[in-house]
Parts: sequence; C-alpha cells; structure tokens
Amino acid sequence: MDVGLVAQYVMNGLMLGMMYALVAVGFTLFFGVLDIIKFSHGDVLTVGAFTALVTFAGLNALGLKSQWVDLGTMLVVATLAMALLGMAIARYLVMPLRSAPALNTLLITLMLGTVLRESVRLFYPQGANPKPFPALLPRSSIDLGSFNLRLDNALMLAAGVLVIVGLQFLLNRTKLGLAIRAVAQDEETARTMGINFSAVVLITFAIGSGLAAFAGVMNGLYYNEINFGIGLYLGVIGFSAAIIGGLGSIYGAILGGFLFAGLQTIGTVLLPFASAYKDVFAFAVVIAIMAWRPTGLIREKISERV
Amino acid sequence: MARKADKARAAFWPGLIALAAATGYLIALLAVEKQTFIISLLFGGIAVVVVAAWLGLFDDVSRAFSDHEDVLGGCVILAALAVAAFFHENHFALLLIITILLYSVATLGLNVQFGYAGVLNFAGASFFGIGAYTSAVLNSHTALPHLLVLLIGGLLAALIGSLLLLPVLRTRGHYAAVVTIAFALLFKTFIEVNDVLGGPQGMQVKGMNILGWSFNDNVKIGGISFSFYMNYFVVSLLLLIAAFILVRRLERSWIGLNLDALRLDETAASCFGLNLARWKITAFLIGNFLIGLAGAMFGMVGGFVGPNNYTFADSLILVSILLLGGIGNPWGLIIATIIVVVLPEKLQTIQEYRFLLYALMVIAVLLFRPQGLVPRPVRHYFPGWRP
Amino acid sequence: MAAVTPLLEARGLSKRFGGVVALDSLDLVVASNEIIGLIGPNGSGKTTFFNVVTGIYGADAGRVTFDGADITKAPSCAVYQAGISRTFQRSRLSLPLSIFDNIMIGNYKHLNQGLWFNLVRRASFKREFEESYRSARALVEVFEPVLADRMFEPVVGLPMIDRRRIEICRALISAPKLLLLDEPSAGMTHDETKELMSDILLVRERNKNLTIIIVEHEMGVIERITDRCIVLNFGRKIAEGPYRRIASDAQVQEAYLGVA
Repeated sequence: MDVGLVAQYVMNGLMLGMMYALVAVGFTLFFGVLDIIKFSHGDVLTVGAFTALVTFAGLNALGLKSQWVDLGTMLVVATLAMALLGMAIARYLVMPLRSAPALNTLLITLMLGTVLRESVRLFYPQGANPKPFPALLPRSSIDLGSFNLRLDNALMLAAGVLVIVGLQFLLNRTKLGLAIRAVAQDEETARTMGINFSAVVLITFAIGSGLAAFAGVMNGLYYNEINFGIGLYLGVIGFSAAIIGGLGSIYGAILGGFLFAGLQTIGTVLLPFASAYKDVFAFAVVIAIMAWRPTGLIREKISERV
Repeated sequence: MARKADKARAAFWPGLIALAAATGYLIALLAVEKQTFIISLLFGGIAVVVVAAWLGLFDDVSRAFSDHEDVLGGCVILAALAVAAFFHENHFALLLIITILLYSVATLGLNVQFGYAGVLNFAGASFFGIGAYTSAVLNSHTALPHLLVLLIGGLLAALIGSLLLLPVLRTRGHYAAVVTIAFALLFKTFIEVNDVLGGPQGMQVKGMNILGWSFNDNVKIGGISFSFYMNYFVVSLLLLIAAFILVRRLERSWIGLNLDALRLDETAASCFGLNLARWKITAFLIGNFLIGLAGAMFGMVGGFVGPNNYTFADSLILVSILLLGGIGNPWGLIIATIIVVVLPEKLQTIQEYRFLLYALMVIAVLLFRPQGLVPRPVRHYFPGWRP
Repeated sequence: MAAVTPLLEARGLSKRFGGVVALDSLDLVVASNEIIGLIGPNGSGKTTFFNVVTGIYGADAGRVTFDGADITKAPSCAVYQAGISRTFQRSRLSLPLSIFDNIMIGNYKHLNQGLWFNLVRRASFKREFEESYRSARALVEVFEPVLADRMFEPVVGLPMIDRRRIEICRALISAPKLLLLDEPSAGMTHDETKELMSDILLVRERNKNLTIIIVEHEMGVIERITDRCIVLNFGRKIAEGPYRRIASDAQVQEAYLGVA
C-alpha cells in the first residue's frame, strides 16, 4: 500500500469533510435555534460562491489583481452578502411561518432553494454551465515522500479549522453564544430572561449563512470551478451529516461531515468503476445509521413536550 | 349554532354551471395558438375567478360538489370526453390532455403519502421514472401483456419506495425528506451511468398493444378519423377514474381517518392504537403504486424514456401541484395539474422559467393561502348523507 | 367484601431525563373500579407517570403491570389495545377534523381496519359508520347535548371547554378498562368543572367496569369524586389514602406549601 496514495486519499477526505462539516453546522444551528429545517442552506452556498465570483470579476475590472486582496475582498463580500440574505430569509419567510406546521417551513425553504438555484441558472450569464473559479491561493506544494502536499489545500484546511474553532469560541465563550444556546434549549425561558428572540434568530441565520458563503468559496477554490447545482448536492450531504451527528449538536455536525467524507472515500476505493456509486454507497450507509440511531450519534435535542 | 340550511342538500346547478364553464375555458385555452390570445384568455380567466371568489360563488360550487359528488363526477367524465372529442385529430392537444390525466394519477398518489399520511416524498418523479423504465425494459425484452406491465411498474415503484422508507419510519418527518431528496438526486445519476438502461440517451418504449390492437396507429371509425392518441386517452382516463375512486374511498374510510390522525399528531394517534409504521408504509405503498402506474403508462404514451425527465426538479413540480391545489383535496389537485401542465406548454416564453415560477408560486401560497386553491373540507364519509 | 384485584401496578418505576429524576422508584397500586386522584406539586411526576404507563416514554427501571400483563416495554398502541385510554394535559385534538372524526380516532380497536372492507365493501362499511355515529353521538350527548347536532363540524372552531369534552369522549368511546385523565378541568370555571365531573360519574354509572386515575389541582374535585388519593413528590409516592386523611398529612402539606 503506497503511503503517498493513502495520504492523498486522507487529504481529500479531510478537505471534503471540512466543507461538509461547515454546511452541516449551518443546518444544525438553524434546527437548534428554531426547530426548523432550512433546505435552502445549500443553495445559499451556491449564491455565496457566485457572489464571490462576481466580486472577483468586479475587482478585475477595477484593475485590482493582487491575489490576497482579491481573495480577502471576495470572502468578505460573499460572507456579508449571504449573512444579509440569511437574515432576510429568516425575517420574511421563516419567522412568519412559526405558527404553521413545521412542514410548511420545510417546504417554503425547499422552494426558496429552488428559486435561488434557478435564478443562478437563468440569470447568471451561461448559468447552466460550470464556471471557472480563480485559483487565488499559492500553487506551490511540498513533497513529503511520495505524497505531494499542496499548500493551497493545507491553507484551506487550516482556515476551515480556524472558522470552526472560532464558531465554538463564539458559542461557548461569548454572551451572544450564550443567548443562542439559551434560545436553542428553551425559547420561552430565554425570552422571559430578557433575551431578544428575534435578534438571536436573525443573528444565527446570519452566522449560518455566512458559514455557507465561506464553504462556497472554499469549494470554488478547491475544485477551481462552481456550478449552479453544487449547493443542492452539498446541502443534501450536509443535512444528512447533521442528522447522523444529531441535529442540534455542533460536534455532531462536524463529526457527521467528516464521517460522510470518509464514507465517500471508502466508496471510491471499493467501487472505482463509477463515481456515482460512491455517493450511493455513502448514502446507503447514512440511511442505515439513521435507522439504527434515529436521534443521531450524538443526540438530537428533544423539543416536544407531551 | 346548528344551521337548519345544512340539513337540506345543496343545490346541484352551481356545480354543473361551473363545470361547463371550466370545460369551455379549457377547450378554448388548448385550441388557441396565438400568444396574445392566450394571454388575454389567461387574464380573463383570472379576473373571472377573482370576481367569483369575491362574490362567494365558490362556496356554492364546493357545496354542490360535496353533496352531489357522484353525479357531478360523472359529469366531469363526460366533460373530459367532450374535450377529447373536440380535439380528436389534434395530436398535440390530446398528448397534453393525456399528460394532465397521468400527472393527476401520480399526484393523487403523492397526495395519499403527503396530504393524508404526512409522509414526505421528494422523489415523486423518480418513482414515476421507475414506472416508465419498467415499461421500456419489459416491452422491449419480454412479451408480457402491456396492462400487466403497467401493474408491474406500479408494484416496482412501491417496492423500491418501501425499501427506501423502512429505515426511516420511526424517525421524524425531515428524515424521510432527506432520504427521498437524496434518492431523487442519485436516481438520475444512477440511470445515466447505466448503459443497460440506455444511459444519458434513454430508451425507446414500444407503444401499447392490447390483444393485438396497436395503440400507435390512427383510428378510423365510421368515417371520422381519430389521432392514435385517442387510444391512450381512453386508457389514461380509465386509470384516472380508478385512481380517483380509490383515493376517494381511502379518504372516506377508517383508513383515511388513521392517516389524518397520524399526520396531525403521531403521539396521540399511537396512544389510540395506531401502529404508526404500518399505516405510514401502507400510505407510501399505495401512493407509490399509483405514481409508478402512471409513469409506466406515460412511458408507453411518449414512446421514450430518458434520465432528464425524472430529475429532482420534476419531483418538486409534483409537490408544487399538491401545494397549489390544496393538500388533500383531489379536485383541487386536478385543477392544479391542469394549470401546471398547460401553462408552460401554451406560453412558450415561460417554459424555461417554469421551475422558478412554480417555486415562487408555492412560496406565495405558503405565505398567503396555505390551504391552497381548493382547501380540503371536513370528511364526509358519504356525500349527501344526513343522520 | 370481594378481594381487591390490582388492575394497574407499578413497582420501582424510575425515569430520568438527563439529570432530572422524574420518577424515583415509584410504587403504586390501583384496584378495579376505583377512582384514584393522583396529586402532587408541579413537577412531581404525575404526567410523566401517565406517559410511561402509556408507552410514550420508556421506563429506565421498574415494572408496570396491567390486568396481569407486563406492559413496561409495551408500545403506546399495545397499551391502548390492552384497555388503557387517556387525555392529555395540553389538549391534543386533531383540529381540522370533525368532532365525529376525533372521537372515532379513539375507537380504533372496535373498527374494521381492513383495506378490503374499507375500500370495496362499502355497504358494510356504511353500516359500521352509521352504528359508530350513533354511539359517538350518544356519548357526546352526555357531556354537551348541543354538540350532538354538530358532529361533523371541525373541532378547531370550538371553545376550549368543548374541546376538553370531546377529548374525554375520545378516550371513553372504546370502553376502556382504565381511563387516565390529565388535568381535565384545566381552564374551566367551577361550574363547568362540576358539570364535567357529574358527566364523568354518569358515564361510570353506565359502565361499572371503568377505573379512573385523575390528575387534578382542584382539590374540590378530588374530594368529591375520588375514592382514594395518591400523592407524589419528586417522583415518589409520599402519601396515600382517602382525601380527608391525606389533606391533613404533614408531609403532604410540606410538599405543597414548603415547611409547615
């Protein structure tokens, strides 16, 4: 067994796992705070990636071609724009449906996802085709034996870790995080304790959507291209990852994300003849896990009072 | 507050008049070709509907349908025959009508799952596709009678659906959602990489042939020539009638009650004896059977199946029909199916945008009129029955 | 006097939720035909007890036997089939459905649930439907005659007190052996509560085989209709006996009011 090859697989798995984890964390945040499934999350990722692309084009038009400035600006713009979009979604689509059956929120966000996806496909020039994403990270690599460690991948991995650690810090060490966790536990009590419920919800959506934007840019940098359907695909994976990790648990979402990536990698190794089968394999295992442990590997929060 | 007026049966005429008007309108819409005429027809139709709603006329119509459903149902069948007769030589119009009939069967199936039992199924188009591919494969490689092929299409869709659902039966609704969405996404890719099933190019489907009567030949009866699609129309209409009666009886029975109980409050339902898994599976199987059946028929009608017709977006169209029409109401379903199928065909300009438009429409419905176009009324086990 | 056969028996029943102990090794016996009042301060485990008996929660330890059979691990639908029926603390009716539909949900075991019967044999189904209508209507008439004429109205339009009545009818329609009432009078006035209790007693008159456990906070109700009370605190039984006796029990007073 070639160590270099194994290392390559591991690196791929880690990159994918990081992206899935970022998406899964978003799902789990929304579910934790509002008990809802926001199906448009993946498509927000797509819009975020395309926003970054548009920003890049804009920067180019202005003649700014510095790698790091471009990347930084793209990230900032995409993240802020998606945060705003997330807040708008919460304010205008999700909050009004609070008293309706949960199914309605699921449906409305599913439809919103379609609107976002189709809008990109229809209104972005040649939207139906994959678009090249600029390679803005250093292209050098280090040779470790037979394994070629690309610097850009390492940087993205590190950035992803930082973001997740930052999120954990936010949730566990700040007042805002405390408010979010309080609302996630028990909305009524949190309100009586003086926490501004709407504000917390909006901010949580903003954070989750910002994460999606970050994941979208990361996705673009990794594959050097994006397409309008990428969010749907990542969304389904991220959602499954959040479920098997246990909806409502951040650690569970991260675990689920890496688990799914691991399953895909195993699937690629076991079934090399068609890449579609790796997904079938991964989802089959996920469904089996769902059947075995319906509340997730780490527990889904119980939200119903009988 | 017992209203004496409720004791008497509602008037029959508002239903009949509304039906006649709707039939005439549909014929006009299908017949007209010029885009400007179509648009003016559409605006005219919307105006009439808005005024009628404002005048409360729809209540009379729905009461008429509620109390006289058997007779009015028969009238609807006559109306369908009239529409087909009008277009007896018009291939395109007949194909559209057949599409409406078969999509209605499929959405009736989806309604049993979603509207009654509350089991989410975002892979409706995939199961429809399973039925269609069954037709393709069985017609090409076996000599099985085609009506049997239809049944097998339905059964296969039911079987695969149950395999998908069994693992997540004891979990909350969103699990079924993600499982069916994943299936919907993977189904298309799976078909595409499988050359046995024709790969991305798809497969031809041999036309229907019952006891030697080939459905793909134009028919001439007593000097009048009919498009060959008339054959398919007759069978599709029969399928819809059967499906409608099945779903109606299902709703108006203890089983329909069980499904409602299970959808509305699982905990209470199980405290009153409902085995949740059993009834969810029952609903899902019945629903998928109808979807597969319709798909198998549609495959033979179109003569061709390909992975691009059974995507996740197509599944969402089926869900949109359900939500637009009014979850749980078969009449609303049929009306919504007509709207969703006919509009993009007649307004060629919006074809490309139909996924976007329908998604927007559903969002509007969910925000402003969640009960849909035709809300589901209280269960009346036997229309017109009084204690 | 005939020997008292325990209908429902809980032994060492325990249930915890994370760090919270809801039921702490609870021992409890209910005999046939008794009306038991289950009382105790908020959070003492009364509703949790009902939820464990009816299979909504699984017990962490201990046993529950009903009519001789062990129902500790039985799922909710099996508990119902055994003859236990209940109402819920916060009203759980299916709001879009009619009064008749809601009551029929409670009648599951007496209705023919076969596909063939329901879909094909419509004439027979109609007979069963009409018979069910008559029994449901008769039951509703006991509690609120006005509603009996409105059996096919959706429940969503009814005031809370009528909804509670319908919920009780739903629990009674299957002629259960044991009826668990969870704060049935919540949200009612004194007069409405009195009326409700009289109606329940009337039903019991007609059906001698009915045992009732009622969770209540209104002591007047408890005093009036129960044979005996069981008092819970922190998931344990702290007192048992006729109302008069336990009302003056020091431990009970302390549980409700703090140190006497």
